[in-house]
Amino acid sequence: MGATIAAHPLQRDGRPTLRLMVADARSQESDGSTAIDLVDVTKMYAGRVHALQGVAMRVPRGEIFGLLGPNGAGKSTLVKIMTTIVRPTTARGTILGMPIGHRPTLSRVGYLPEHHRFPAYLTGRQCVEFFGAMGLMRCAERHRRAAELLDVVGMGAWGDRRVGTYSKGMQQRTGLAAALVNDPELVILDEPTDGVDPVGRAEIRDVLLRMRAEGRTVFLNSHLLGEVELVCDRVAIMLKGKVERQGTMADLTHDSRAWRVTIEGAAPAWCAQFGTASTDGSRASIDFKSEDLAVLQSLIDRLRAERIAIVGVRETRESLENLFMRLVRDVDGRASAVGASNVNSAMRAGGSQ
Amino acid sequence: MNAPHESGAAHPLSRRHLTLPDYVVQTWAIFVAAYRELNARKLFWVALLLNGLVIGAVAAVGIDEKGISVFGYELGIPGVTTRTFPDGQLYKVILSALGVGFWLSWLSTILALLSTASMFPDLVTGGVDTMLSKPIGRGRLFFTKFATGLLFTALQVSVFALLAFFVLGIRGGVWELGIFVVVPLMVVFFSYLFAVQAVVGAVTKSPIASVIVTLLFWIFIFLVHSGEQFTLVGRTASGLEIAGIEAKLDSLKTEEAKEGLRKPLEEQRAADENWVLAHRIFFGVKTVLPKTTETAGLVTRALAVAADIGEEEDAEADDENARRQRGFFRSQFVTERKLRGAIEEEMAKRPVWWVVGTSFAFEVVLLTLGAWWFRRRDF
Repeated sequence: MGATIAAHPLQRDGRPTLRLMVADARSQESDGSTAIDLVDVTKMYAGRVHALQGVAMRVPRGEIFGLLGPNGAGKSTLVKIMTTIVRPTTARGTILGMPIGHRPTLSRVGYLPEHHRFPAYLTGRQCVEFFGAMGLMRCAERHRRAAELLDVVGMGAWGDRRVGTYSKGMQQRTGLAAALVNDPELVILDEPTDGVDPVGRAEIRDVLLRMRAEGRTVFLNSHLLGEVELVCDRVAIMLKGKVERQGTMADLTHDSRAWRVTIEGAAPAWCAQFGTASTDGSRASIDFKSEDLAVLQSLIDRLRAERIAIVGVRETRESLENLFMRLVRDVDGRASAVGASNVNSAMRAGGSQ
Repeated sequence: MNAPHESGAAHPLSRRHLTLPDYVVQTWAIFVAAYRELNARKLFWVALLLNGLVIGAVAAVGIDEKGISVFGYELGIPGVTTRTFPDGQLYKVILSALGVGFWLSWLSTILALLSTASMFPDLVTGGVDTMLSKPIGRGRLFFTKFATGLLFTALQVSVFALLAFFVLGIRGGVWELGIFVVVPLMVVFFSYLFAVQAVVGAVTKSPIASVIVTLLFWIFIFLVHSGEQFTLVGRTASGLEIAGIEAKLDSLKTEEAKEGLRKPLEEQRAADENWVLAHRIFFGVKTVLPKTTETAGLVTRALAVAADIGEEEDAEADDENARRQRGFFRSQFVTERKLRGAIEEEMAKRPVWWVVGTSFAFEVVLLTLGAWWFRRRDF
């Protein structure tokens, strides 16, 4: 079966309704390798603010996918559209093979919202069980899962205390347990380590890796680039309502693949044809960008031929943080350029009148 | 954290449509959570305690062939004996007037409104995103949440009815199962007001605003009801007066004697037109609003409290009362008994379906608008 393209049942532009879309989806189910397949997701607030502009994204099953972006990029809006909390202007695509917004499919999705607030009068265990029931789990199964998950997130001893007495980190852990209670195939986590101490963050990272090992798909929305870099197989970077880049870490940093060869003594003059040479004390480094390993080999061969001692050869790639910052600057630059161009056009237009 | 779908089998929760057991599981979970919320509120227990005190106060009243007593202390009120109030009538009157008319219809309802004020603001501000990410429709969530809000009143009134049932049985000697009709009726009564509170709470996200608007609305419908009742009395008295004058005219033989009544008849007819118009306006407005007073009054009807208790004694004083009231309605021919009888006849023409049905219609329209708004909102 080919790619699944289905409209959100709640979208506002008069496209097909839920019943039609469910029927439609029967003939459009994906091949099962894709957990999230967004083709065109748009959200316009109050008829003017474009929160999302034709977002397309593909998240393979069994991977941890990181969604990055500065504040206001539209990350949370996208997550909320996938979980039916926000109504899209248009939304074509599927979640777990069914159209976005197909309600029964949500029983196979776990979601931890950013700044979530659980009812203070419930205990942690009751909270987890309550959301299990909302996710259609039967009584005995949700009792068992709640007990198991509270232990997993380190809240076993606190499970019978009211949520109102919990710290932010404890609430976050409980929220993670609630997101996992229905044994979801897809887990969407919006800033899961928000308010959690470094030890707790490491534990949550372990939980994420365990989820991947169990074959679940994790969709991680986070500001913390380092965290994303540590656990994610794939990343999408959203800026101003658009996906600027997406792919594996290797794909994203592919263009930035570079080599650093460090030698004893000064770099010979011919090294300039390979790259930039720099000296640091008694050693020198030659940095160059190349995808072709033959270039590296030829440099090493020539250095050895001249009996220059090679101290080290290291592959370097741009960090996710650098890539992210570069993209943000690029987009801001483009926006400024467009803005300036618009101003100039306006001035020209004004001048010509 | 085992993953059953790992083996390639379908996820146990995988389905194309929700089934009836799914709806039951979700609805039951929401109700249990609502009960836990009530349990955690001190106001719920305060109201329950007050329930017990009200019924305890009724139980403290004793009546025998000699008279009435409280905690065994004879009050010495003449005429109030088991002869005038047989078969637990006194307890029915007290339960109806004090228990339903004052406690349940006013104080308990205000406590219930305060207790449930944060329910909808909390829904749309706190946990709404987690709830909406579950396989539950927005409309169903809205209406189920509304139904859980009625739990407070349902539990309080159930306790009240149970205690009242035993007081009637043990103290009055009447095992009146009809007392339990108070449960659905008071829940319906509360639901009119809670519908306003729920919609205002959801839209404004403010518990305080929702309580204030609901209380103001309650005062408004009470004023409309009072206006309708007042104009009904005026209209009825006016009609009776016209009928009285016309009867008198028919009985008079001489034109001179008749002439003296023709001007008052014309004046009364002009006044009657005004009364009829005023009543029609009030009645029209009232028809589309919830009828809280009448709904609470249905409990009295159900308790079969005889409306004519003490009728014989009243009859003697009737002429005096009528004379006193004539000043107000400028009536020469209307006695209080006649007026009361005519009004009771008019009120009896308003069936239960009109009282509850039109009130429900208001509630349904309001809740539908609220649910429509809730379905369309982004959170």
